[in-house]
Amino acid sequence: MKLTVRDLTVRYGDLVAVDRVSLDVGEGELVALVGESGCGKTSLARSLLGLLPRTASVTGSAMLGDLELAGRQEWTGLRGRRIGIVPQGAMTGLSPVHRIGSQLREMITIHESSADPAALIDRVGLPRDVLTSFPHQLSGGQRQRVAIALTLAGQPDLLVADEPTTGLDAITQGQVLALIRSLGISTLIVSHDLTGLLPYADQVDVMYAGRMAETGPAATIARHGGHPYTVGLLTATPSADRAAGWGSIPGAAPPMANLPHGCRFAPRCPIAEDVCHEQEPALLPVGAASGACHFYGSGRVPRYPLVPRGTTDAGEPVAWASGIRHVYRSRTRTTEALRGIDFHVGAGEIVGLVGESGSGKSTLARILLGLIRPTQGRVELSGQDLGTARGRSLRALQRRVGFVHQDPYDSLHPGMRVGEIVAEPLVVAGADKRGRLERVHAALSSAGLSEELLQRFPGQLSGGQRQRVSIALALVGNPVLLVADEATSMLDVSTRGGIATTLRSVATDRGLAVVFVTHDVGEAVQSCDRIVVLKAGRIVEHGTSADVSSSPADPYTAKLLEASHH
Amino acid sequence: MSTLAVATRHRLLGTQGLVGAGLLAAIVAIAVYGVFLPDSAGRARVAAPYAEPQSGLPLGSDDLGRNLLEQLIVGAGISLSLAFIVAALTTLIAAIVGGLAGIGPRGLSAPLMRGADVMLVLPELILFILAAAFLGQSFWTRVAIMAVILWPVPSRLLRSAVLTSWSRGHLEVARAMGAPLWWVLGRHASYIIGPLLVPVFVRTAMRAIIYDATLSFLGLGDPTTPSWGTTLYWVQVNGVFLSDAWLWWAVPPGAAITLTVLALALIGTSVEDRLNPALKDFS
Amino acid sequence: MTDVQETLPGSTLGRRGSWSYFAGRGLEYALVLAVALTLNFALPRALPGGPMKLFGNPEALARLTAEERAQIASEYGFGQPLWQQFLDYLQGVFTLDLGTSLADGRPVTEAIATALPWTLLLVGTSIVITALLGVSLGVLGGLRRREGKGAGLLAGAIALDSIPQFWLGMLLIVFFGVKLQVLPTFGVSDAGVVTIGGVAEHLILPVVTLTVTGIGYLFMYTRSSLLAVLTSQPVEHAHARGVPRGRLVRRHVLRPALLPVHTILMLDIGFLAAGSIVVETVFAYPGLGRLTFDAIAARDYPLMQGTFLVLTVMVVLMNALADLTYPLLDPRARTGGSR
Repeated sequence: MKLTVRDLTVRYGDLVAVDRVSLDVGEGELVALVGESGCGKTSLARSLLGLLPRTASVTGSAMLGDLELAGRQEWTGLRGRRIGIVPQGAMTGLSPVHRIGSQLREMITIHESSADPAALIDRVGLPRDVLTSFPHQLSGGQRQRVAIALTLAGQPDLLVADEPTTGLDAITQGQVLALIRSLGISTLIVSHDLTGLLPYADQVDVMYAGRMAETGPAATIARHGGHPYTVGLLTATPSADRAAGWGSIPGAAPPMANLPHGCRFAPRCPIAEDVCHEQEPALLPVGAASGACHFYGSGRVPRYPLVPRGTTDAGEPVAWASGIRHVYRSRTRTTEALRGIDFHVGAGEIVGLVGESGSGKSTLARILLGLIRPTQGRVELSGQDLGTARGRSLRALQRRVGFVHQDPYDSLHPGMRVGEIVAEPLVVAGADKRGRLERVHAALSSAGLSEELLQRFPGQLSGGQRQRVSIALALVGNPVLLVADEATSMLDVSTRGGIATTLRSVATDRGLAVVFVTHDVGEAVQSCDRIVVLKAGRIVEHGTSADVSSSPADPYTAKLLEASHH
Repeated sequence: MSTLAVATRHRLLGTQGLVGAGLLAAIVAIAVYGVFLPDSAGRARVAAPYAEPQSGLPLGSDDLGRNLLEQLIVGAGISLSLAFIVAALTTLIAAIVGGLAGIGPRGLSAPLMRGADVMLVLPELILFILAAAFLGQSFWTRVAIMAVILWPVPSRLLRSAVLTSWSRGHLEVARAMGAPLWWVLGRHASYIIGPLLVPVFVRTAMRAIIYDATLSFLGLGDPTTPSWGTTLYWVQVNGVFLSDAWLWWAVPPGAAITLTVLALALIGTSVEDRLNPALKDFS
Repeated sequence: MTDVQETLPGSTLGRRGSWSYFAGRGLEYALVLAVALTLNFALPRALPGGPMKLFGNPEALARLTAEERAQIASEYGFGQPLWQQFLDYLQGVFTLDLGTSLADGRPVTEAIATALPWTLLLVGTSIVITALLGVSLGVLGGLRRREGKGAGLLAGAIALDSIPQFWLGMLLIVFFGVKLQVLPTFGVSDAGVVTIGGVAEHLILPVVTLTVTGIGYLFMYTRSSLLAVLTSQPVEHAHARGVPRGRLVRRHVLRPALLPVHTILMLDIGFLAAGSIVVETVFAYPGLGRLTFDAIAARDYPLMQGTFLVLTVMVVLMNALADLTYPLLDPRARTGGSR
């Protein structure tokens, strides 16, 4: 059934999270609503189901057929029956104490539907014996399929899927999207992943800072050259094709409490002129698409900074690991995380460590950091044995390795100021007090931060800024090796390339060996000199980024590359 | 700075916790006053046995003609000092045991936690009675017994807190930068675990007060020192509730125990509520 | 994601099944019993003045002649090496021969057998009422947390939890026994005639005492467990899928929320049995607790050791029962899975 949203506005008190947004979902169409965190896409989706907190108010109109959804108080008989939701985080969202079959039958009963549990399970491509299983017995992808089956049980007219692929590995993501596509129900998918959705969506709506930036058929959007933000998003998603280039949008999205004057994207836009800072643009239709940009359809192409390629050859090996095996033991089970790894990284070179969760990449990173002692094998750092060092000598070696943690929201002490945080390795190492401030300043500038932030607390910084503080903290002790563990995974898409650019510049300028751990093979192809692909604790592929991306030797690598080929 | 401190304290405690803190402060003030009373207060015969309340003897006297109000005041000091010393000692033990069991060598952590598990299954009250009956009733013996019996619960709690904090990002970063253990603990782990010590301390103090009063009531207290539990023991032995004397003899010490425990409970629950992330965003 | 071990299923070389889990727990309980037995054996012998002090008060002891002392010592094996004494003690325990009471010369086993049913009756009645009231009020307090009623319930629970049992018992005696004279306050029967109605009447005040002081903790535990489940993802998702509120609470909230409450209840039974010492003393109720208290008062050590042992065993049994029944309620504990 058709969904027609007109001038929908969602307010939380004085804050306007969704500002006069219009969109359409046609009969049987799949529409992707795309944007970064805080752009209002989730508020919009939840307003269609009446799932916003009490403090929110909704104005405007959202018609499902002839049913008005906006501002509705009574949702009985609508949720699940007219509009079905595939909620975010289905991995942990199924009832843990009921069997799948029983959960499906519950949906069928309360929505008085004529669906059949076994048929539903067939439809989402799961084996029938799943019906008698409990959620904890299924994999993440299977649970996401069950969540879809639960939504189908009510035979809804409209499907709203909230980040249905978050938390799934690249290969499973494609499978889940293909499944949703095949259902033939009008669907609104909310996601941060524009390129991931393009192959599956009919229509794409891009939101920025609460406003609709661009809307149009997926085929049109995919042809670079529309709204500058859309172009930015496309170039900011790393492709496994090395020729494509990986860009980033400078700056960060504005907080809703402090929106810029005129076009909200203007402060970050490469083609912005005075008019952009003064007048808010309306949606201009050009062909089948329309965009909220003063220069929409003018042919001007925004140029975003690209992540630079390495130009120098790798120097002497800085870290060296051979025959590494690692086994985790707990009271209930024994897990073999690494099964014989040979690995090295040279000065000035960035090595990508690629693998899905459970591949052992994080374990290897922690062995290089001296946080974990390998069960077997030898690790050397600048010729010294890291694997057997203990106490004072281990700590001395650890000071030569910088660590950029995955989670910028957890890796900085919340009670310390940026200046103290960055200086901590110097204090710990007992470095000379006089030189400290200069070294902190140098590290901050290498990480691309200004000195104004020295007195701030982490809570006052954006995610990208925090991750740069992490990089400065890792650099301040003049390490020889930098380990970046999924350093981009929790950041907004548009800022990821910027972090990779910084890593490249410290590798080149400081001659630093960098290990870049990532689950995204595209990021590794774009930003690393060499790539090591791990699977279940073994290296399945190893080579220069160019070779790996153009002619992968291992079928698993080929599958990974294909999943992130845009 | 002081307004900030007040604001922080209010956030940490909430209205409910502030009521508890105020109540506790009043009881502590009374207890401190009791410390300055002469040694004979509540111990010496000052009136006829079973005297009714009268001027100079607001709560009357007990079967030996001792001043019941003085017993109540002196008892406050003993109950509170015992509770606070036990709580401090137990929190210290729990922090050490929890820390060692969380991040210490496996050879140490496993036996510590098995030991705690065994202690948790043994009924506390019975252990207290056994220990009090056999080991004596002097103040410091009671403190030692309490600390030895009360450590497992807070130790387990702090162990899991240490384990959680250990996997937090900034602790991992600190360890990876080659910071020594004392630095990681003092600078990083303390920030996460520190606030948890408040409810641990408060809960332990509550249990210490209740158990000490119960043991005294059962006649296993120190008969030479006045305490709330001991006063109630004499109420029971003398069958005071058959007469009107229960009103000034039995009610005050029981109410004192209840109010003290309540004050601590109010502080404890409100701090816990604020520390529990699952409940924080949900009110 | 921060815990490396959690993110690394890798290959699982071996996973211990539920049987070895139970074996592990069983071992733990055996250890608990061993500790209890050892404490029971060691504490009296660690007394200053030696084990002879076990028998009666100092004046009585002083009157004993040297021969009498020697006779007692040989009868109880105090002359033998410690390990021999320990073995004898263990043998006694396992053959249910716990010695004879010093107070009235009855076998300890017999005294316990007479008292135990009364305690089970008292504790059983209290736990059922406490569970019904505490859990249902806890659920109510959790569901109505935003309203005045919920806040009032919480404040009430904290207050109830702060009252010492023995004091509440005394107040009840004063009001219902002495002032109003509507309920008996002493023992289980009038003039030694045991009738069902009479016993029920005598049970009221002790049961009220145990219930009122026990309900607060159960309320708070149930409430916080319920609140945790209410904010959990499965419940939010079920709500988003259109499950009506009543059904949401009944099917999706209550069961997961009451899982941990079940364990707490089981443990409560054991601890109530131990805690009955106080209540039975206040109400002169002829159960195990009163027997224990009398034994302490009379320094009747064999009887004391016997009652302590039985109470500890009860607590351990309840723990084991909680462990064994938990998997029946939680499929995650019943069926292993990928994670």
